[in-house]
Amino acid sequence: MKNIVEIKNFRMDFGNKTVIKDLSFEVKAGEIFGLLGANGSGKTTTLRALLGFYKPTGGELLIDGKKYDPEDTNVTIGYLPEERGLYKKETVMDNLLYFGQLKGLKDPKEWAEKYLKRVKLEDKANQKLEKLSGGQQQKIQLGVTIMNNPKLLILDEPTKGFDPMNRRLLMEIIEEAHKKGAAIIMITHYMDEVEKLCDRVILLKDGVAHAYGTIAEIKKAHKNKSLEQIFIDIYGGEDE
Amino acid sequence: MSNPLWTVTKFEFIRQVKKPSFWATILLIPLMVVAMFVISMLTANGVDANPTLSEDTKFAIADDAGILPEGMPIKANITKEEGRQKVVDGELDLFFYIPADFKDTKKVDFYHISEGLELFNMDGQAIKGILNQAVAPKFDELDVMALTGQFEVNDNKLTTTGEEPNALGKAVVPIIFLVLFFFLVTLFGGRMLMTVVEEKENRISEMILTSVSTKHLIVGKILSMMLLGIIQMLTLIVPLIVALIIYKDNPIVSTVLSQMEFDPITIITNLVLFIFSVFFATGCLTYIGTITPTAKDASQFIGPVIIGVVFPLYFMSAFMASEPGGFVYFLTYFPLSAPTAMMLRNVFGTLTTPELIIGLVEIAILSTLVIRATVVSFQRNAINFELALPKFLKKQK
Repeated sequence: MKNIVEIKNFRMDFGNKTVIKDLSFEVKAGEIFGLLGANGSGKTTTLRALLGFYKPTGGELLIDGKKYDPEDTNVTIGYLPEERGLYKKETVMDNLLYFGQLKGLKDPKEWAEKYLKRVKLEDKANQKLEKLSGGQQQKIQLGVTIMNNPKLLILDEPTKGFDPMNRRLLMEIIEEAHKKGAAIIMITHYMDEVEKLCDRVILLKDGVAHAYGTIAEIKKAHKNKSLEQIFIDIYGGEDE
Repeated sequence: MSNPLWTVTKFEFIRQVKKPSFWATILLIPLMVVAMFVISMLTANGVDANPTLSEDTKFAIADDAGILPEGMPIKANITKEEGRQKVVDGELDLFFYIPADFKDTKKVDFYHISEGLELFNMDGQAIKGILNQAVAPKFDELDVMALTGQFEVNDNKLTTTGEEPNALGKAVVPIIFLVLFFFLVTLFGGRMLMTVVEEKENRISEMILTSVSTKHLIVGKILSMMLLGIIQMLTLIVPLIVALIIYKDNPIVSTVLSQMEFDPITIITNLVLFIFSVFFATGCLTYIGTITPTAKDASQFIGPVIIGVVFPLYFMSAFMASEPGGFVYFLTYFPLSAPTAMMLRNVFGTLTTPELIIGLVEIAILSTLVIRATVVSFQRNAINFELALPKFLKKQK
């Protein structure tokens, strides 16, 4: 299967501090890939470098064989970052229309109306975003992320702050995107989500990969322990 | 796919126009114009009708109408052209010419050397005062009534080269661009900063920069600011034109209109300078927005930019001199003061074509560099939530 993401010998220093030492991995088209690790292990840094927010100290980070360009229409990307926000002073609809136009949707209004109905926020369309609850705002942000049917969906802790009901809804939406053929990179601390969704995972510690492969392969290498137990073993009870 | 640059420009423009604070800001300007107009009307009434005339003022009157009695020493037997030439040559300070058809036209010509950018002659009262004061005390038999009656004075300002300058008349239209530039920078400076800081402050950077390139985002924001500037220009100019049309018969307005000159080269030059300058100033302000984490942090940097832009105005007299000094040249090429200095010099006619070309190239290069720096800085600092000063500033700290 074709690689949609290739990370080769990636190194990232911030001043004297090395966050990523030497990291290499691939994400295949159509798979759900878990990027796992304790807080500060370099997961978000890796994604940000992949998307051009950080200039890597060394190595190569490629999407579909090229450095990322947000206006390259061949590789549509949806990114739900860890630090997320939208235009709070604008209405829900205006936010969705703006991003819809930027992402090249043919009829952003039609899409926005359908999506708001789907996530039960149709009555909030003309409200300013700041009037919505945190969870409702996250649904709008997720909408922005998936609106262009991305080939690559990058989700940094997508379920953080969601109640169980909305978490289920979010999982459904992610699975739908996957069924449509999107490759998904997901950062999460919920191992049940990983076991349920991910085809392959990588576990980062101290800027290097400590485990990399399918969930079955990793479990086999760790005496068939649960993924959560493997995680705890690797990080040795570090503060999460 | 819709053009991302246009999408950003439209979005940024519409959301600013929707804000009541935007309209409050730009409507202040026409109100200020009206206030200035009212003040000028009030001060016009205070023009000294009897100004004092120095003892050594050399003046003469040529009277082709035969109003003044024979034998008056100040009654010169010279033609209008000769009197005019004597003023140019410095033999006379003031020269009055009463034409042969004075009784029909009730018009007197007045010639003197221009001292620069005089205010418009409001209604000739001051000049009548000079004429009355100069003549009446010396000759009792003078028909003072004829001179102080209802007549018009054609104020002819001359230069030592004999030209008839109309500095203010020529300056009115091109100076509008300078005024607009100031309003844009001073009133929209904060808005320009905010438009870039907002993405960081509200943590939108990563979402937006995976949807549009940094270049399109920044240039789109700058273009939207320029469109807002056009709206501001219209809110200033349209009421002004309407007021001039309504009050065209008002003596002040008719004098202003009669003396206004439309020199296309000066106007177009200032328009071009205005466009380049707005790009440069907006670039500087948006750059500041990219290195600061919050609007509050950014606001402390507006002051130096505005001071740099306004600085040349403190030396207005130096700019009005026919031969600009070294300091004026310095301000003409110093990056922050260059836009204002060049527009001022263009208004006062001291900006030569080679200087204009050099200045335009300088501002164009600086604008391009600043906008490029803004794009790079926004990309680098999009997720940096601390003050990110450039390296050369960090070393000084």
